[in-house]
Amino acid sequence: MNVPVNPKTLVAEMPPVSTSEQIATMKKALLKNIQRSAYVYRVDCGGCNGCEIEIFSSITPVFDAERFGIKVVASPRHADILLFTGAVTRAMRMPALRAYEAAPDPKIVVSYGACGCTGGIFHDLYCVWGGTDNIVPVDVYIPGCPPTPAATIHGFAVALGLLEQKLKAETHVEAAGETAALPHPDIPYALRVRLEREARRMAGYRQGRAIAEEFMALLEGHAHMPGSFTLSECMMEAIAEERDPRRAEIIGRLVDVVQQAIRGEAA
Amino acid sequence: MLKLLKEIFRTGEATVKYPFAPMPVCKDFRGKPEHRAEDCIACAACTVACPANAIQMETDTAAGTRTWSINYGRCVFCGRCEESCPTAAIRLSDDFELAVGSKADLTRKAVFSLAECACCGKAFAPAKEVDYVARLLSQSARSAEEADRLRLTVSTCPACKRAQDVHQIARMGIGRQMNKELETTP
Repeated sequence: MNVPVNPKTLVAEMPPVSTSEQIATMKKALLKNIQRSAYVYRVDCGGCNGCEIEIFSSITPVFDAERFGIKVVASPRHADILLFTGAVTRAMRMPALRAYEAAPDPKIVVSYGACGCTGGIFHDLYCVWGGTDNIVPVDVYIPGCPPTPAATIHGFAVALGLLEQKLKAETHVEAAGETAALPHPDIPYALRVRLEREARRMAGYRQGRAIAEEFMALLEGHAHMPGSFTLSECMMEAIAEERDPRRAEIIGRLVDVVQQAIRGEAA
Repeated sequence: MLKLLKEIFRTGEATVKYPFAPMPVCKDFRGKPEHRAEDCIACAACTVACPANAIQMETDTAAGTRTWSINYGRCVFCGRCEESCPTAAIRLSDDFELAVGSKADLTRKAVFSLAECACCGKAFAPAKEVDYVARLLSQSARSAEEADRLRLTVSTCPACKRAQDVHQIARMGIGRQMNKELETTP
């Protein structure tokens, strides 16, 4: 097979499947007055099955996609909507194209999940095509890793023209004199770093930062609040109010860090 | 029949009202990464942390701009960008309705301008980053002179810093001192 290779991605460039004008108008007519159920055929092009699990959870009674007439069928010959999941591995290209060709026109192609949209985390792998749109023309992209059942239902609604898409391409250009605010300017930088480090060490990066932020807001509040409270009293109160023992322990540890810093001890 | 109806009423409706009513998401749900470009200093920590290369940065020294971009189609919603952001400019929001008709709508961009080196005048780092670091350092500086010196240091490009180091070493005359040492040692 002699096909041009894209030097940037080191992937052969296959001619994309093209659709004629007639099919495009047919598709528009179908979307305008689709007065029946939309049948979905699911094409797995080498995904991790996370997307499949979410698709099946979106047809369970809790999310119940079938109340909108969205029904998963077993053959592409019955399908109105083709749902491509996975990053399109080399081996799955031909089966995916066969499923695409087997579906009757007009058909709606939905690219599902991060892998389907752009190749996701596998986008630069040697054995993938990196996205459904590299092999077939796609109408709707549903990003997510995997998309939640609610996101799936929203995606179907967008595909069927029932809901408007919310996301729009945007470009922010830096305004003149735009500056980023310093976080917690009242707390010395060295202390802030120690607090964040300790909170993150104990609670993990995401939660640790949230706890450190809360704690520093408390510290600043204490600094601004005139009154007879000492630091430890104020903090003890905060710890006593905390109902989660793990969080209380972390806040207690942060109080220790502050007191160490006040005494001038090294970390 | 009556028993069945009773059972049905007792069970109630399990199906969510989602497309007709907003869907409540749980705490710590990781939805669309929301980027507040005003707080971003274009330091590229998120681009390094992003495992899927959804966040990318391109520096154009000729035009003096650095363009930050995120591709929501490639994002795996891991939250590493949020963890690594020094100014909390990127946050994972509750928004999960990301389906789009055209792929171009999946990207979001922010253009930042580059600062020029105080020595050679070449663009070398985002202006906001240089300004942020200078303010952060002057916050912990002991005196106004030290703050000024630090500000000058951070607004100098690495190449100029290296050149200045060389000049300083030459001024210190390490070679001469070494020769002297060699002469005096038997």
